[in-house]
Amino acid sequence: MKNKAKAKIKITSRAGKKEEITAYLCLIPAFLGVTFISYLPTLAVFVLSLFDWNGLTTPKFVGFANFTRIFTKDIYFIDSIKATVLYAFLAVVGAILYSLLVALMLNMKIKGRTLFRSVFFVPYLLPAIGVFKGWEWLYEGNFGLFNFLLRMVGLPPQRFLNSTDQVIPSLVLIAIWISGNLIVIFLAGLQNVPGVYVEAAKIDGANAWQRFWHVTIPSISPIIFYNVLTALITHLQVINPALALTNGGPSKKSMFMSYVIYLYGFQKNKMGYAAAYAVIFFLLVGIFTIILFKTQKSQIFGGEE
Amino acid sequence: MLANGVFKSAKKKEKWLNLVITLIVLFVALLVLLPIWWIFRSSLMSTGALNAYPPSFIPYEWLWSNYSKALETFEYWKYFFNTFSIIVPAVLFGTVTAIFCGYAFARLRFRGKKLIFNICVGTILLPGMVTLIPLYVFWTKGLGLGDTYWPLILPYLTGGGFFNIFLIKQFLMTIPMELDEAASIDGAGRMCILWTILVPSIKPAVVVVAMMLFIQIWNDMLQQIIYINSMSKFTFAVALTNFTGSFGTNWPVALAATFMTIFPGIIIYILGQKSFVEGIVLTGMKN
Repeated sequence: MKNKAKAKIKITSRAGKKEEITAYLCLIPAFLGVTFISYLPTLAVFVLSLFDWNGLTTPKFVGFANFTRIFTKDIYFIDSIKATVLYAFLAVVGAILYSLLVALMLNMKIKGRTLFRSVFFVPYLLPAIGVFKGWEWLYEGNFGLFNFLLRMVGLPPQRFLNSTDQVIPSLVLIAIWISGNLIVIFLAGLQNVPGVYVEAAKIDGANAWQRFWHVTIPSISPIIFYNVLTALITHLQVINPALALTNGGPSKKSMFMSYVIYLYGFQKNKMGYAAAYAVIFFLLVGIFTIILFKTQKSQIFGGEE
Repeated sequence: MLANGVFKSAKKKEKWLNLVITLIVLFVALLVLLPIWWIFRSSLMSTGALNAYPPSFIPYEWLWSNYSKALETFEYWKYFFNTFSIIVPAVLFGTVTAIFCGYAFARLRFRGKKLIFNICVGTILLPGMVTLIPLYVFWTKGLGLGDTYWPLILPYLTGGGFFNIFLIKQFLMTIPMELDEAASIDGAGRMCILWTILVPSIKPAVVVVAMMLFIQIWNDMLQQIIYINSMSKFTFAVALTNFTGSFGTNWPVALAATFMTIFPGIIIYILGQKSFVEGIVLTGMKN
């Protein structure tokens, strides 16, 4: 009897061991990714930021000289921070509002919602380069769609991408247009809102607005947070519009930080200097992420009161 | 009687509200489609017709010749082939490895699971721009893979980002464990169970992961620009960034080329659309 029990334990533990080995084997890709694509390169960028290196000769250790230079003499630094933060802020707010409103409407029992859902998602699937080249034409100064629409309602034509004031809002509009993925995620969240709560609020005499504000919004607040977080990280990294359309112009108004990293690293071959920029960018994104997590906490407590 | 009347009027009100909302949604949907239509309609017009005022909403004559003109300078099929020789292996690698990793987190017991999981979650918040330069140095100077597609494909052997692994894990956890156990009693091994029973039952999630990887590569202009140098290896993104100059101010032809790059995305979406929406919706519901 005793022997039998012992044997059983041994077998299960051997099976457990086998299970563990299978698990580690399955996780090799994740392990490689985490180590070689994420954490080691992050460490490396910090190290590289302390060197002067053109990518060919032996790197020269320069301490914090790259950082001092960026903070004091760099011709792009201030503009790049301004452009990146302004763009990210407007794009996140715009995309979240647009996608939440559309998702709320699509969540109602309207005709053809499946078809509509696909329509709003289409722009997200188009390749970035095609989107930007296409929109360049829509923004064209003389014969573009937007100036045609403006003329139709009797407004003067605008310069959009060539105007220092309008370039960021014009690019943000494109970003909002392609944010169909957020709509789908919001929709998923909205379908999760327990119908019981909505009914209960109805019986208590809450009107549509109160139901929206006190039942729907708190129920989907984790989804809102998730969407804001991913949108923020995506939009702070904005680079495609500068690569495809503006090259950072006009007068450095769309000189996004990612684009500056690209310029220094790959156009001017200043690898160490670009790495220092990347470190600053890393810290910037980190600060915004932390702020966001802090506000989320207070919101949860606010909702529970 | 009275209650019934109130009920009826509330129902009527709801009907009206639905109609108004439907009209608003229809209007916004048309606005969303307008840019795509405008690009398409402009690609079929002559420069003269394009500059006419007021502009016509539908082309007066459909100049499909713009497309053949675009094909003379814009080597569409070469770029198509190049782009997809990155996308196909990358999406395949990414999806398969994400399934393996997601399976381990969802189904297997092992030491350090929580820790490993948290370390992986941290990578979601890491912006790709930060690691760009060290990775470039690693691939080109370290492994000598500059001007090849490998630096664009090999990273996808790691599940293509932890979000995909997470998605697969979430889906697998909704499949009852009894299914595994029954198969296991029938003598099926773990890998056999995973690929013949579990993967087919989470098909929507697999489609979502594949589609997201597809979009990710589609939109990754930066890495294609920095890793690809020779013209024979150009993808859509690199070619269109470099070549608009050669169309000059010939907008219709440039737009014909642009529209041709947009087209494969639309086709693939139509094919995968059902599973895709289903998959995303389910993810939310099971969270």
